[in-house]
Amino acid sequence: MPKQPKGVVGDPMHRVDGRLKVTGAARYAAEHPVAGVKHGVLVTSTVARGRIKQLDTAAAEKAPGVLAVVTYRNSPKVPGYSDAKASNNPRVEGQEIKIFYDDQIHFYNQPVALAIAETLEQARYAASLVRVAYEQQPHQTDLAANLSKGTEPKKEKDYSRGQAYAYRTAPTHLEQEYGTPIQVHNPLEMHAAIALWEGNKLTVYNKTQAPKLAQQDLMRMFQLPEENVLVHSPFVGGAFGGSSRIWPQETAAILGAKHVGHPVKLMLRREQEFNLVGYRPRSMQKMGLGASADGALVGVTHEAFGNSSQYEQFAERIVHPTKSAYRTPNMNTVYKVVPLDVSTPCWTRGPGESSGSFALESAMDELAYALKMDPVALRLRNYAETDPENDKPWASKHLRECYERGAASFGWSKRNPAPRSTRQGDWLVGQGMSSGIYKSERQEATAKARLMADGTLLIQSATADTGPGTGTIMTQIAADASGVAPEKIRFELGDSALPPAPIQAGSHTATSVGSVVHDVCVALREQLQNLARNQIGSAFSQVPPTDLVALNGELQLAQDSSKRLSYVDILKQQNLPMLEVTRQSKGGPELKEHSGKSFCANFVEVHVHALTGEVRVRRVVSVVDAGRVLNHTTARSQVLGAVVWGIGQALMEQAVIDHRYGNFINHDLAEYHVPVNADMPEIDVQFIDKPDPIISPTGAKGLGEIGLVGFAAAVANAVYHATGTRVRELPITPDKLV
Amino acid sequence: MNQFQYVRPTKQKAAIDALAKDTSAQFIAGGTNLVDLMKRGVMNPQKLVDINKLPLNKIEKENGGLRIGALASNKAVAEDKLVLEKQPLLAQALVAGASAQLRNMATVGGNMLQRTRCYYFYDTAMPCNKREPGSGCGALEGINRMHAIFGFSDKCIAVHPSDMSVALAALDATVLVSGPRGDRRIPFADFHRLPGDTPQKDTNLEQGELITAVDIPDGPFTKNVHYLKVRERASYAFALLSVAAALHLDNGTIKDARLAMGGVAHKPWRLNEAEKFLVGKPATEETFRQAAAIAMRDAKAFKHNAYKLKLGPNSIVQALKNATAVA
Amino acid sequence: MADEKPGTPPENAGHDGNRRDFLKKSTLLTAVALTPGPVVHAAEAAWDEKVAAAFEKVPLKLEVNGVKHKLSVEPRTTLLDLLREQLHLTGTKKGCDYGQCGACTVHVDGERVNSCLRLAVMEDGKKVTTIEGLANGDKLHPMQEAFVKHDGFQCGYCTPGQIMSAVACIREGHAGSEGEIKEYMSGNICRCGAYSNIVAAIQDVKNGGQKV
Repeated sequence: MPKQPKGVVGDPMHRVDGRLKVTGAARYAAEHPVAGVKHGVLVTSTVARGRIKQLDTAAAEKAPGVLAVVTYRNSPKVPGYSDAKASNNPRVEGQEIKIFYDDQIHFYNQPVALAIAETLEQARYAASLVRVAYEQQPHQTDLAANLSKGTEPKKEKDYSRGQAYAYRTAPTHLEQEYGTPIQVHNPLEMHAAIALWEGNKLTVYNKTQAPKLAQQDLMRMFQLPEENVLVHSPFVGGAFGGSSRIWPQETAAILGAKHVGHPVKLMLRREQEFNLVGYRPRSMQKMGLGASADGALVGVTHEAFGNSSQYEQFAERIVHPTKSAYRTPNMNTVYKVVPLDVSTPCWTRGPGESSGSFALESAMDELAYALKMDPVALRLRNYAETDPENDKPWASKHLRECYERGAASFGWSKRNPAPRSTRQGDWLVGQGMSSGIYKSERQEATAKARLMADGTLLIQSATADTGPGTGTIMTQIAADASGVAPEKIRFELGDSALPPAPIQAGSHTATSVGSVVHDVCVALREQLQNLARNQIGSAFSQVPPTDLVALNGELQLAQDSSKRLSYVDILKQQNLPMLEVTRQSKGGPELKEHSGKSFCANFVEVHVHALTGEVRVRRVVSVVDAGRVLNHTTARSQVLGAVVWGIGQALMEQAVIDHRYGNFINHDLAEYHVPVNADMPEIDVQFIDKPDPIISPTGAKGLGEIGLVGFAAAVANAVYHATGTRVRELPITPDKLV
Repeated sequence: MNQFQYVRPTKQKAAIDALAKDTSAQFIAGGTNLVDLMKRGVMNPQKLVDINKLPLNKIEKENGGLRIGALASNKAVAEDKLVLEKQPLLAQALVAGASAQLRNMATVGGNMLQRTRCYYFYDTAMPCNKREPGSGCGALEGINRMHAIFGFSDKCIAVHPSDMSVALAALDATVLVSGPRGDRRIPFADFHRLPGDTPQKDTNLEQGELITAVDIPDGPFTKNVHYLKVRERASYAFALLSVAAALHLDNGTIKDARLAMGGVAHKPWRLNEAEKFLVGKPATEETFRQAAAIAMRDAKAFKHNAYKLKLGPNSIVQALKNATAVA
Repeated sequence: MADEKPGTPPENAGHDGNRRDFLKKSTLLTAVALTPGPVVHAAEAAWDEKVAAAFEKVPLKLEVNGVKHKLSVEPRTTLLDLLREQLHLTGTKKGCDYGQCGACTVHVDGERVNSCLRLAVMEDGKKVTTIEGLANGDKLHPMQEAFVKHDGFQCGYCTPGQIMSAVACIREGHAGSEGEIKEYMSGNICRCGAYSNIVAAIQDVKNGGQKV
């Protein structure tokens, strides 16, 4: 590869879609102008299990402006529903929930009717007139009461190396139970869809992290060929895992549109967000840690339970941090999923890892106290130089440096380790830390690059940008690899018609899509170089490609920058209206030979009110090893977001079910608390910023989740340090400390 | 939301008449609670009488006190010079409530008439005697973490959510109302009700009665005051529990005291006995602890709110400490 | 009602029951006269309500971003839904519809409010400014510039509400310190967690001394 001048990757470039977002011009799912669109409002079940006994839609149908009320009785058929294979979402085991299919109720707030009217007000009123009576059947929604029904999930097998439960044999050992509540994504944009049929061509405007997967879900459900299904999702108002599959609102809008013969728009209500679009499942976990007196881990055992629905088995990576975080000869993990009469959970930022790491990193802190060892020293004592799960070398690991920089910036050495040893006025002060580990992988992705006659470059890939700044970093990668200036590049995403890309999830967009954008732009540049060198009479004809520099839309001679040829002129000379290259990329065998992970170290200071038990996070230092940083501004924002999520998870977020009714009772944003601006501490985000040599040609690793992994434990550890009270069941609310 | 008739009278009498004859009608001012409740089907008025054209938003001195018009916005009151000078406790309570946007919209009258935030009241699929008399109380045997420890009944254990009202209760305010049968003054302690057998009635207002103003007598509580609000997040959340504390101190001795709690009962909970105890005592933490113990004498907890039995007295102590510490 | 002057909005934006009944019946009769018998018979019950619906609207004068609108709306229409669904100003966002997130924040007569909790009819004669009305043509408002510069957003959905709130925060005089900004911006939830950058943007504008 020719040596290139310093590029724009790594620069804190402003977001390419910033102007659209600050002017209100960015259009989200419910905001696309679609001629003749009608409004739909869902009616959802008020029992958790049973069947519809009576369904009276007469009053609703007569209400002003109403076109129809769609129910299982009159709904158009979903062809895929009649086939068990087509009803199995390939990413989850089981049969997906069937909308307006029969009279069976599988969870609370299951859609039972869709009122469609000319205006939103009319549809909402009509929905309120639909009368449904249920024959209720006993339901189970409490994980704790149903642990015996847990089974080993098909996608997450138990793991063991050395001797199981060996921790019990260690001179110092502990066994503790930890719990995390149901956490709801609650993106600010409530899930919405506009569905439009033209003959048997289906167009859906929605919010999705995966335009291609959404398209495939719809193809499978409606048995349509790829060219007949279009999914548009140019802007996504927050997702965090909650827009990772087709959900009931899309299906309902599609069926409604088919039924009334007009496009239908539908937005969920906030309380429906709690049941209809996934959530982080509740976890109940047991950690066993044993160590010798010098802190060397003798054995680690992690047992975890999580809930799923009755109709699908959702499994997550809850025990994964335990398997790879620390060196130990003996390790076993057990994970069971319990089916309950609730809707299926789904991936939620730091899926599994953030729940599991709360147990692991809390237990490590407890072990440090038991050993009278510093928690950082304990972690360094058990530092894993290769991945303990499989003995593979790390693709890259700079966690030691994370600890060192974090501790130094935070002032960790000044900490008095004794609990309840520091007080400022009415507040008890505590400091805690944790580390995080999260997979960093790369999936197959495709991108198309099209250089126009005017020198502008269009890059397309069907990825999404739910907020991390995908369009921006792809523009930067494309600029460096192609030699076209970033302001002349447009990156298109959020549309199923674009070249396939994986879902934006699991922190792999920068590595997967970033790699193929890099590759396609390198290929484009090489083609331009070849064209320039092969041009008769070209000044570059005898020049080896390594002596050509691509910059600002021109090829320059490395030794003599006055010799230059613009891309526009290359196309002109060749009589080309444009130059288009498509590449697919998935990386080589080196990926399988290495363990790809991102790492972080979290240092947290909390103040706990001595009398009221209120906890406020005051100071955070988060040091992240996520490979090369592609954009320091957006990367920092990602970690800031992870910290905010961590504070929410640690201190306030909890969806509470009244098991008598089987539904959440705090199902809005006044009662389900997410952090507000006043909760923000001083946050110091630092990056190791060393390129990973294996995972992607850009040197990037995954970044979206890593800052959240372990964070809640750092808060809990700090709360213990402040108060002497160990809270093992999140969230850490005042009632647990007063 | 159902369709409703909307009228916007400019005269007080017309507004009152509109409600007097029509039990399905409601006044609307800021709308911050009513519109929310209508969207969820908890309240379904057939007619809304918009009172925003009535001239009821003045804040002025009146008869040795402060008169605050019922339509004065929460923001206007919180930032009013007279209020800050004479009744800083009220300003503190207002700023602790809601968000800047909501305080711009919400009025003094409407704030007093806020409905409870009890989960079961808000969800029309759940039983609630307040929303639907006779349907049962969902909270009694349900999730009652936020609920009352004082003055509840077996019909309802909900708490009143207003911060402002806790301060007004402490400050001996009087509510001025005008109704079909003329004007009357309701002492603040008699304005809100305990649930008893009729939890559907939050207040002692009669059909058609309109709150026109609140009177607060001038007092010595211009400096050593504190409104303490305990909540899970640092702002924009309803209180787990709150305390309005006002002290009149003379060289470290308490000459007069006012105490009220929020988040513990169906109405703002005035702590008269504790106040009496405080008078004449030194303003020390020990005194405050004893007063707090007196305040909590009749408290009783449910399955999930036992923490309030400890949070309550602790918060009283902290609020009194903070009030004392004001230099 | 004594003080109502029929037909002169906005003094009387309402309508009394008798007039409504009369209009409903007379229009229904007109419709009946023009339609074949069996169709009328089949549809009559439904029509009664549907015809009535046309008269459930009340007139509304509103100035939005400097543009004067003469509208006819149902009293139950919120300002937020009016902006998004009827005026197609989708920059104002619906994040919860219950006044619990701030995504719908707009300025009414210069004050920030949650448009989801305002009935549009209550704003008769008022001036509304939305995110679409903040920039001066192509020139962004300083707060919009600052949000881009400080990366005060990620997904962008809460952003219009944050910016409208941020502008009001400075105008109200509540941007005096970092702590004050945080408190007075707490009515705007950002689930992506851009809070620190939002505070930085507001401080930048405040300290820059530009007119907001």
